Amino acid sequence: MKRKILTMLVLTLFALSSAGLLAQGQEEAAAAAKPVAIEFWTTETQSDRMATIQVLIDTFTALNPDITINLIPVDENALATQTQTAAAAGTLPALFEGPAETAVSFGTQGVLDIQATRAVVDKIGKDRFYSGPLKVLETTDKSSYYALPYHGWIQGIWYRADWFEEAGLNPPNTWEDTLKAAEYFYQPDKNQYGILVGTLPEAYAEQCFTPIAMSNGAALFDADKNLVFNSPEMKEAVEFYAELAKFNPPGPQTWRARDYYLQGKMAMFFYSTYIMDDLAMLEAAAGSLTGDNFGDLSGADFDPELVKNTRIAPIMTNESPAGYGTVVALGFFQQDDPAKTAAARKFIEYLYTPNAYITFLHMAPGGMNPMLKEIASNPRFQNDPMGLFKSYGPEKMAEIIDGLENVETFSIVEGVRIEEASEITAKQIIPQMLYKITQEGMSVDAGMRWAEAEMRKLID
Amino acid sequence: MHAQIKNTGKLPPGGSATALTDGRTRAQREELLGWALVLPSVAIILALILYPVLYNIYLSFYQVNLSGASRFVGFLNHREVLGDREFWNALLTTIIYVAFSTVGATLLGLGTALVMNEKFPLRGLVRSLILLPYVAPVISVVFSWQFFFDPVNGIFMDIFYDKLGWFSQRINLIGSPATAVWVAIIFSIWKNFPFAYLMILSRLQAIDQNLYEAAEIDGAAGRHKFLYITLPEVYFVVNAIILLRVIWNFNKFEEVYLLTSNVKVLSVYTYLKAFTGAMDLGQGATLAVLQFILLIGFILFYVKRVIKW
Amino acid sequence: MVTGKRPLRKIGFALLVLSIVLFCIFPFVQMLSLSLKYQWDWGNPSLIPSRLNFDAYKELLNIGQSLKNVPESIINLLDESPDLTPAQRSAILAKYQDTGDVFPFLKYFGNSLVLSLSAALFSVILAVFGAYSFSRLRYRGRAVVQRGVLMVYMFGGILLLIPLYKVFVSIGLLSTPTGTFIGLLVIYMVQTLPVSLYMLGNYFRTIPFSIEEAAMIEGASRFGTIWRIIIPLSISAIATVYIYSFMIAWNEYLFASVFLKSYKDLYTLPIGLKTLFVSKNAIWDRIMAASMLTALPVMALFMTIQKNLTGGMAAGGVKE
Repeated sequence: MKRKILTMLVLTLFALSSAGLLAQGQEEAAAAAKPVAIEFWTTETQSDRMATIQVLIDTFTALNPDITINLIPVDENALATQTQTAAAAGTLPALFEGPAETAVSFGTQGVLDIQATRAVVDKIGKDRFYSGPLKVLETTDKSSYYALPYHGWIQGIWYRADWFEEAGLNPPNTWEDTLKAAEYFYQPDKNQYGILVGTLPEAYAEQCFTPIAMSNGAALFDADKNLVFNSPEMKEAVEFYAELAKFNPPGPQTWRARDYYLQGKMAMFFYSTYIMDDLAMLEAAAGSLTGDNFGDLSGADFDPELVKNTRIAPIMTNESPAGYGTVVALGFFQQDDPAKTAAARKFIEYLYTPNAYITFLHMAPGGMNPMLKEIASNPRFQNDPMGLFKSYGPEKMAEIIDGLENVETFSIVEGVRIEEASEITAKQIIPQMLYKITQEGMSVDAGMRWAEAEMRKLID
Repeated sequence: MHAQIKNTGKLPPGGSATALTDGRTRAQREELLGWALVLPSVAIILALILYPVLYNIYLSFYQVNLSGASRFVGFLNHREVLGDREFWNALLTTIIYVAFSTVGATLLGLGTALVMNEKFPLRGLVRSLILLPYVAPVISVVFSWQFFFDPVNGIFMDIFYDKLGWFSQRINLIGSPATAVWVAIIFSIWKNFPFAYLMILSRLQAIDQNLYEAAEIDGAAGRHKFLYITLPEVYFVVNAIILLRVIWNFNKFEEVYLLTSNVKVLSVYTYLKAFTGAMDLGQGATLAVLQFILLIGFILFYVKRVIKW
Repeated sequence: MVTGKRPLRKIGFALLVLSIVLFCIFPFVQMLSLSLKYQWDWGNPSLIPSRLNFDAYKELLNIGQSLKNVPESIINLLDESPDLTPAQRSAILAKYQDTGDVFPFLKYFGNSLVLSLSAALFSVILAVFGAYSFSRLRYRGRAVVQRGVLMVYMFGGILLLIPLYKVFVSIGLLSTPTGTFIGLLVIYMVQTLPVSLYMLGNYFRTIPFSIEEAAMIEGASRFGTIWRIIIPLSISAIATVYIYSFMIAWNEYLFASVFLKSYKDLYTLPIGLKTLFVSKNAIWDRIMAASMLTALPVMALFMTIQKNLTGGMAAGGVKE
């Protein structure tokens, strides 16, 4: 009963605030009431997420019958390529949802509409956003933003707490402890591996590498925008990474190798909070498997203790502590037809209304965390479908969300936003270097020289 | 009774200047008709191939900038590409890939065709099964191959490391750059040998059985029958297969890229150059032009010297 | 004829056939096996699943799936959008329960089928005439055209991609689904034309000119001889070429992936499968089941035609 009243109260608040935003939207709609069709590229390619976003679109277009939105899934690793092709052909969509670094890279190429972005930020109110993520997306002159932060995740090393305990090892919070554990658990003759770090030239490798470099004080640029990639700190980080990679499963690997962890063949792996969703599903599946029908499961690689004994070490420390996460942003591509931009603006504003926002975030509890402070403390948000807030506890979840405030990337140095670093990330130069060093047998020095040359090509 | 038709092996007598009723010579009529029949094919090929080809050549002289204007740079791209060690590595990988996959597919196709030309129970079913690799879409079989070679869970390592001990440790054959090209070659042979098999088999079936019977009467051994009857009969089709396979495998993108993503044959290298990293479309176009030159050189050589088409 | 002399030889021959067959079908066996395994069984190298799991197929084919559960967040969303009419609300819900199939197999299958059948048909029609011209008629420029046709192969798909995409966009072909479909159709035709011309040309050369000559002396036109003599005599070759063109179109994905991006309803099977794989829905049983479903129709189709094909070859009795 109590809960019901509370819910009612919250709902009323939502309704009021949504109505406010909608009213503003409707004024603008009056100005451009002719039918308009826009495209929306999303990197949420899973079918269930697509279906949820489609509901948001359907609801929005039901309320705005003159707007049609075509939702198109684009693989995160192909986003830059697809944009390139579309830009060359003049067929960029009005809207996209993708990693902030990619958005900044688009912004520096001049294909984004930063006026429209600025207008939306102003309308929502800058102070309602977490400041860290917003800063990631700020333009150099600080006059506007390349895109709007919409949700985010943090990353850490997930590990088998029971294995660590049994072996008397410390959790993988520091370079030393991580390496020690990776080495200890690496038993290839038993088909068991120590750790998973990305060694394929994909975004995942950079996601693993960034906190390691950051924790050693290594950077791509200094605050004056000079490339300082080739530093002793960076070299140590690369060497350490290459050392860790020796305890990987054989050959080049990417996030898909987390399967080995789920099969109990690996001790640790870098992963985002999205795994919470997967683990919850695995636990549900496990629940159904241990029933009467499956009494003869012995011998199969299924470990019912796995989910219970999985922990995260979100901060890596060597010289200094560092965490890593990614902000996912909504951005406007420049359009020839202002009506399209107007329609896109209206839709984004709708997505920020609490009702739509929470629906969106609940697609992947743990993986998708809000960028507006008020949503994080919203009881409806905390009442997620997976029951993560309940099982992990509000403190843990708050910690994750707070982590977003301290998201560190190579593209912000002492508060200065460095577009070139985002370019380097978008072009996956560091993952390519790590691949060359760990897989092609290139020496660390040669690999770093190669990467530096590639970076200089981009900057000039 | 089947009609027995002897192949003359020569071009039809077309050029004779027999005067026909409409006043044109037969040669003139043939010329018109010849062009008329081939024109639709030629037109569509010109429209969809010539433009991109020219466009690629044009692009190869430019520093392509997507957000701004492209800048004419002369032969800069060409010099950079030729001076890049990775290009030569890609070329070497391509040659290895094309040579082994072509020879492998052709030989296996020839052998299989010889086996399938014999009579045995269930031959019809077996013949159909053999074609499966060739007809299945690339994208639908690569995942199975990837899993087969998965170092931790794959059957390959389970058999050859765990059970047989042929390897000293579990190796990621399909992922490691040193071995991936060989997996790609085996995949290509697996995927494409049925084409060679099919072509050769239909040729074998067309060989006049009287030839073999005559040879048997003369007391020829199986080996001799193969050398002096079968081989000459399939010579042309084998050459055609080799030519086609070289061309196709040289440009193969999907079969390589979808399978392992780190075997840098030229087509993949071009793709990576043009669409990833620094996204250098100008250099991508340059690579395309270079590939074109290499391939046309090979084809002219092969067609003139080997097939004498 | 050659077999059956010595039993040892017979066994060796049987082993040879067996190993060829195994080599060919092993990846399919692997695919089937994994598609039927539970997640906890993936690490088990045995090809036989510890327990059969049909969930992936059921899910992909939408068999026995009760209406999709609507998550609370979506119900909340709709309840709290007061401006929606009840009709709109139920329409949105119905659409939600209806879409979001992980792999709408039948739709993709239909798209692939229509596209490939028509591309192959047009390609073969053009190729019959072109190949006849190559093999039977003498004219200036023939050698140039014959070789020029092979040019198509010198540029792989990637290198034609951007220019063609640009042209098609600039003439507005890609702005409608029909236009996009036609665009792909034409590209697939070009991809298959050269091999059709080449293979048919070779085949036509093996048909003795004397048969045609006889018909022409009796007053048949050139088109008449093509229709009544060349096509019937080479029907098995034409069928081979047709199926070949069909395969190329059916299996193609590079162009489809770029051209069809905006038209989810036009996705072909390979694009659907690729989309499934890059999405994080990609877990092995689903990928393998979807691979199986993508490969099966074309394999089944081919095996049925293959019988006719062999039969046609025997019945036609055309020997060189």
